[in-house]
Amino acid sequence: MTSLVKPRTLFIGLGLLCLLATWLSLALGPVSLPLLDTLRAVLRLLGLPVAADGLEQAELIVGQIRLPRTLLGLAVGGVLALSGVAMQGLFRNPLADPGLVGVSSGAALGAAFAIVGGSALGGLPDAVGPYVLSLCAFLGGLGVTALVYRLGRRNGQTHVATMLLAGIALTALSGSAVGLFTYLADDATLRTLTFWNLGSLNGASYVRLWPLLLVSAGVALWLPRRARALNALLLGESEAAHLGIDVERLKRELVFCTALGVGAAVAAAGMIGFVGLVVPHLVRLMAGPDHRVLLPASVLAGASLLLFADLVARLALAPAELPIGIVTAFIGAPFFLYLLLRGRT
Amino acid sequence: MRLNIRVVALCVALLVCQGATAADLPQRWVSAGGALSEWVSALGGESKLVGVDTTSQHPESLRTLPSVGYQRQLSAEGVLSLRPQILVGTEEMGPPPVLAQIRSAGVQVELFSATPDLPTLQGNLHHLGQLLGAEAEAQQMFDSYHKQLAQQNTRVTEAQRKQEAPGVLLLVGSSGGKPLVAGKGTSADWLLQQAGGRNLATHSGYKPFSVEALAGLDPQVLVFADRALSGEQARAALFKENPILSSTRAAKDGRVIELDPTLLVGGLGPRLPQSLVKLTAGFYPAASAMAP
Repeated sequence: MTSLVKPRTLFIGLGLLCLLATWLSLALGPVSLPLLDTLRAVLRLLGLPVAADGLEQAELIVGQIRLPRTLLGLAVGGVLALSGVAMQGLFRNPLADPGLVGVSSGAALGAAFAIVGGSALGGLPDAVGPYVLSLCAFLGGLGVTALVYRLGRRNGQTHVATMLLAGIALTALSGSAVGLFTYLADDATLRTLTFWNLGSLNGASYVRLWPLLLVSAGVALWLPRRARALNALLLGESEAAHLGIDVERLKRELVFCTALGVGAAVAAAGMIGFVGLVVPHLVRLMAGPDHRVLLPASVLAGASLLLFADLVARLALAPAELPIGIVTAFIGAPFFLYLLLRGRT
Repeated sequence: MRLNIRVVALCVALLVCQGATAADLPQRWVSAGGALSEWVSALGGESKLVGVDTTSQHPESLRTLPSVGYQRQLSAEGVLSLRPQILVGTEEMGPPPVLAQIRSAGVQVELFSATPDLPTLQGNLHHLGQLLGAEAEAQQMFDSYHKQLAQQNTRVTEAQRKQEAPGVLLLVGSSGGKPLVAGKGTSADWLLQQAGGRNLATHSGYKPFSVEALAGLDPQVLVFADRALSGEQARAALFKENPILSSTRAAKDGRVIELDPTLLVGGLGPRLPQSLVKLTAGFYPAASAMAP
């Protein structure tokens, strides 16, 4: 690694990037609005006294469609990246991602249960259907993670290696259960399931947004406070304990925050791969492994990446839309490879 | 003179009123759902369509319209960017939050049932007729549809008097590979019944079958719907990918019938009666040979 970016520069850069992404996400879409109208609509949404004449369409598009979508993108991207850092810190393994403790597979299982089971019961009413789906995904993620954590504990100690293997086993188990649901599903349910597995920020509404915003704000405020402890954990568990860190408590917190954050993100937007695995690496390649920088910077980078991916998702095939899971990997993977290979010369 | 002015005013008012009712009908349509878009076109509304979903493949000309994506995954802004006045679709259309957003933007959203039966179709056609200002045509179209299906029923009963209903399997696949077998409760099952076939598959939904099970059922007629290929190519691909099928009675007797897979989505469409005639002819070769 040749040169690292100074934390200050990194934060300013990522902050500007995130602001740019937010603005573009509010300003661009299949409906073309004059830039001035977008600006005025945003100002009005912020509560500033701007004349409302001729702004009806802009206010509707920006306020009811783009703003909830942007907030959803920010929260999901941030929390996925943050959980990725937490998991890579916990397992001290660069290949770790939030899926490792079973959140994603558990959420997928919950979602499959809701989609296929719901349609088998004659279809859930439209009014509650989406909430049942989100709730089942969230509970599924939390449940499987709790089980993985429980399996990793012996004599009051959490064995990270056992937990990792238990995570793999339970992921496989949930995978086969999802497969069974897929087999039982009819054509229409199958399509819903497939699309859910690719994730989407489409159809974001405030009602479904608030729980996620609360959870992700909580996680984003809490995890950075544990940055020093995570740094100590990089040295090894006993070393961290000798440095006065309550390692058991740290592990518990990391797993709990990940389960909560990723569970809420997946429940709101479906499965969005890649962000949790690669954003922490991107930031580490730029700024080094210090968690005091890594944690907050990952939030900004994850949120920006997801918003840019969503822009592509909604504009590439307009008026139709691509599932965002396809785009995150498509944008992120080549960029990641570039950063990786750049350091080799 | 004064009277004249009044008469003129009345005439003008009447004309304006008439103009207003015609203008009240939605003029920019987005339609999601294969069969529904076909009906809109059949009722003369094709020129009003400004966008369709990916399942709307017929008539051919619809494919040139902007696509709003798959009917279950519509994007609110995408649909709104076409500035539609009305969005029509089957109950499968969604997701619900997006429909709510589209509604709140002042677009009329109309949902139609996709249940494959005549009362539903009658209701749907009547509703579409009203929305398109073509009620008479809609009624006429339904009557003729009704008549065609009734004739179809008679044809099947006639044929069954002379010949036992054949055992049929309907395979849906893409380029012949790993076909799914249509079971109970699918639109394909309904289609086979209407055409007078006996569906040998007893599971529900579309499921993959092992080659052994396929051979064991030994269908007298095979119907296949291929999403990627058509005609002789599709037939060749089916037998190349699934050699075991060649040993069935259907293959030996050459009773392998092709079906357009788009007929299987989105309820009863206008092309259905013709396909039923074709299927019945394949199921009962003796009867149709004797028919005038």
